[in-house]
Amino acid sequence: MATATTPEALRRAARLERIWKEPGGLVGWITTTDHKRIGILYLFTSLAFFALGGVEALLIRTQLLHPESTLVGPGTFNQALTMHGVTMIFFFIIPMTTGAFGNYLLPLMIGARDMAFPRLNALSYWLFLGSGIFIYSGVFAGHAPNAGWFNYVPLASRVYSPGPGIDFYCLGLIFNGISSTVASINFIVTIFKLRAPGMSLNRMPLFAFAFLAVSFALLFALPSLTLDCVFLELQRRLGFQFFDPAHGGTVFLWQHLFWFFGHPEVYIIILPAFGIATSIIPTFTKRRMVAFPLVAMAEIAVAFIGFGVWAHHMFSAGLPAITTVYFAAASMMVVIPSAIQIFAWLTTFASGRPKFTTPLLWIVGFITYFIIGGLSGIMFAAIPFDQQTTDTYFVVAHFHFIIFGAAVFPLLGGLYYWFPKVTGKLYDERLGKLSFWATFIGTGLTFFPMHIVGLLGMPRRVYTYPKDVDWQSYNLIESIGSYLIAAGLLMVLANLVRSYLKGAPSGNDPWGGATLEWSTTSPPPDYNYPVIPKVSSAYPMWDLDDRVADTGKLERGELVLEEGHLTPATTVFDANWDEVLDMPSESIWPFLTGAAMFLLFFMLLGGHLFAVWVTIALVLLTLVGWHRTEPQES
Amino acid sequence: MNEVMRSMEATTPVMAAAADRQRRSRPSGWWGMALFIAGETTFFALMIASYFYLRFQNAHWPPVGVEKPKVALPLILTAILVATAAPLFMAVRAGRAGKVGRAWLLVFVALVVQAGYLGVQIHEFVGEVDKMSPHASAYGSIYFTLLGAHHLHVAAGLLLELWLLATLIGGLTNYRLIALRVTALYWYFVAAVGVAVVFTQIYPSL
Repeated sequence: MATATTPEALRRAARLERIWKEPGGLVGWITTTDHKRIGILYLFTSLAFFALGGVEALLIRTQLLHPESTLVGPGTFNQALTMHGVTMIFFFIIPMTTGAFGNYLLPLMIGARDMAFPRLNALSYWLFLGSGIFIYSGVFAGHAPNAGWFNYVPLASRVYSPGPGIDFYCLGLIFNGISSTVASINFIVTIFKLRAPGMSLNRMPLFAFAFLAVSFALLFALPSLTLDCVFLELQRRLGFQFFDPAHGGTVFLWQHLFWFFGHPEVYIIILPAFGIATSIIPTFTKRRMVAFPLVAMAEIAVAFIGFGVWAHHMFSAGLPAITTVYFAAASMMVVIPSAIQIFAWLTTFASGRPKFTTPLLWIVGFITYFIIGGLSGIMFAAIPFDQQTTDTYFVVAHFHFIIFGAAVFPLLGGLYYWFPKVTGKLYDERLGKLSFWATFIGTGLTFFPMHIVGLLGMPRRVYTYPKDVDWQSYNLIESIGSYLIAAGLLMVLANLVRSYLKGAPSGNDPWGGATLEWSTTSPPPDYNYPVIPKVSSAYPMWDLDDRVADTGKLERGELVLEEGHLTPATTVFDANWDEVLDMPSESIWPFLTGAAMFLLFFMLLGGHLFAVWVTIALVLLTLVGWHRTEPQES
Repeated sequence: MNEVMRSMEATTPVMAAAADRQRRSRPSGWWGMALFIAGETTFFALMIASYFYLRFQNAHWPPVGVEKPKVALPLILTAILVATAAPLFMAVRAGRAGKVGRAWLLVFVALVVQAGYLGVQIHEFVGEVDKMSPHASAYGSIYFTLLGAHHLHVAAGLLLELWLLATLIGGLTNYRLIALRVTALYWYFVAAVGVAVVFTQIYPSL
């Protein structure tokens, strides 16, 4: 880090400190526009939802522990099953990856002082929180969605699901989608415009490439889910006819629109994991990523191909053969960018000097399970195989290896990896390794036997099974595995809490990391960097001359920008320095707009037209209040 | 070192125009709107795709007993909507030259015409709901949903313009100049999507 030594440099740093300081206490958290604090809000909120989704998973596994169990009835089981999926996908993984990791780390990695639209960033958090409370208020009122996370019609239509559960689902996901849409726009603009001068696209860390791909995928995939939910709400509430064949509609419309969102969603879940893996691997193998440009292109290609494969979720629905064959072939194509990445990771391991600390262990677990889940994924591209195994536990096994083993492991590894940066403390290495092995073994025990019971014919989403089919031993192992996962995750939590309270100080850069966030203090100051760092490769921390140059720049006052709440903006491809932006300071309005939107969605649920108009007016009023202050005035 | 400008400090028309000239790439606000538009375009593209997907499930489109859509009026209205891109385009040019009064007037002209457009469209919409229920068939459902979605986007654009006019009274700043560019960009999108929507709307009569 550029350390201030001369009195002039100290004065500059003190000035930055004063200008970027936000109010403390509860008010500070509600009005914050600091990407790091918003990232922390996202982190704790999505962890709370992770716990809820985890409890639902344990409920499912405990019910299935014995055949013909009566622990929970079929009604509760369906709700737990639906909410497990909805929670983990919309209220844990997306906010955890883009919201927590992206928010906290992305501006640091590209050498910026905040996101491109700090107030919009705060809004996306409040909308996410609002949508989570909205949908869970349905759950606690006994009206949880219960038609599965992909909510097929006609089951989800008013005739078969008369209660408000499905309305909570539709409105909650539209609400949540607004949050994710504004967040993804913010990420793309941040990556395009706020990279430190000199960080041309080819010098951008792979982490940022992954988040760029995720943001584009979210931006183009979410409208499909939103539209689908709008159609279903119009049908359920106002009697429109989109899905009813008796009136010229078709149930396939729901499926196509859902999966046109749903498949890119899988890559939205997995791509941040790739980004985290490509941050951790070079650090602990002390080697630059092999085939950097290929890996960057593979990350983008995965997101792109993801939009052309959706109907492979519908092979047993009765589509024309020509359609299914096309989608089978397209699905096979996903193998190519995935394999490029796997071989690049493995080659980096093989040609570097890997040091198997806790974060790297999670990455090893990730690669292992990604390969297992990937291989079963290829099997589904064979249409006859898919038709045989659809709606069995074989599918459940496949996608949990991917979205738990492959997507969540790097998140946990990332929690350990960046824990010193966020808190300034070191975690406990021994407990860290123990937590990994517990979770790793638990995951194998839980999900591997599902392949076998799936092939034996056990259907998914069914609340119990008979005694005489001999599925009991497999289910027993699975349930034991799930408790082991829970134990492993609790160990992660215990480790981090304990280390936060009494861990050894970590210093700025305990790992010899490659990316810019390691150059600043741990935790970073409000303004991130006293001087906007010089960048001449994708591994800026390993360019030692540049870091020395930063100190000189601080002393000379170059790129310190201490005259206001400022950050540089650059050109999109070459990152030539183009202008200095005044960033907005803390504001109460994003919170108020979020609160008004929260009310609006409850009014939509209630269906009282006058109340809806009043809350729309309220939302508009908050927007007026928001925009009365221009960034340079705040 | 300060050949790079601090653009938000441009709080007079002359300075805002100068900041605009000096900037080599598009501002963050422009990118934000362009990406928002990309998402909304996807939304409309999927809705039009849904229209045709439903159409191919039905032998009769519109269903027997339902009048075919009018052709002339929707086309004329859309032509008027597209034409309002011209004053907005000119408003942006005026704004970038620092001529704030001229920009205000041109946005106002666009606003008046667009408001008239929306008025006629809503009148038509309500009249058609009386004749053909959206509850009776998939045709009616997707027809009204598609048109309603577009009308909502027009209404949102009018609110943007109203806010822009209100702030421009206080003079031009760098921030407001970007807002002007972005509002115009939004309207180009509304007009372009309007063309796609109207041809979907009148398709059964072609």
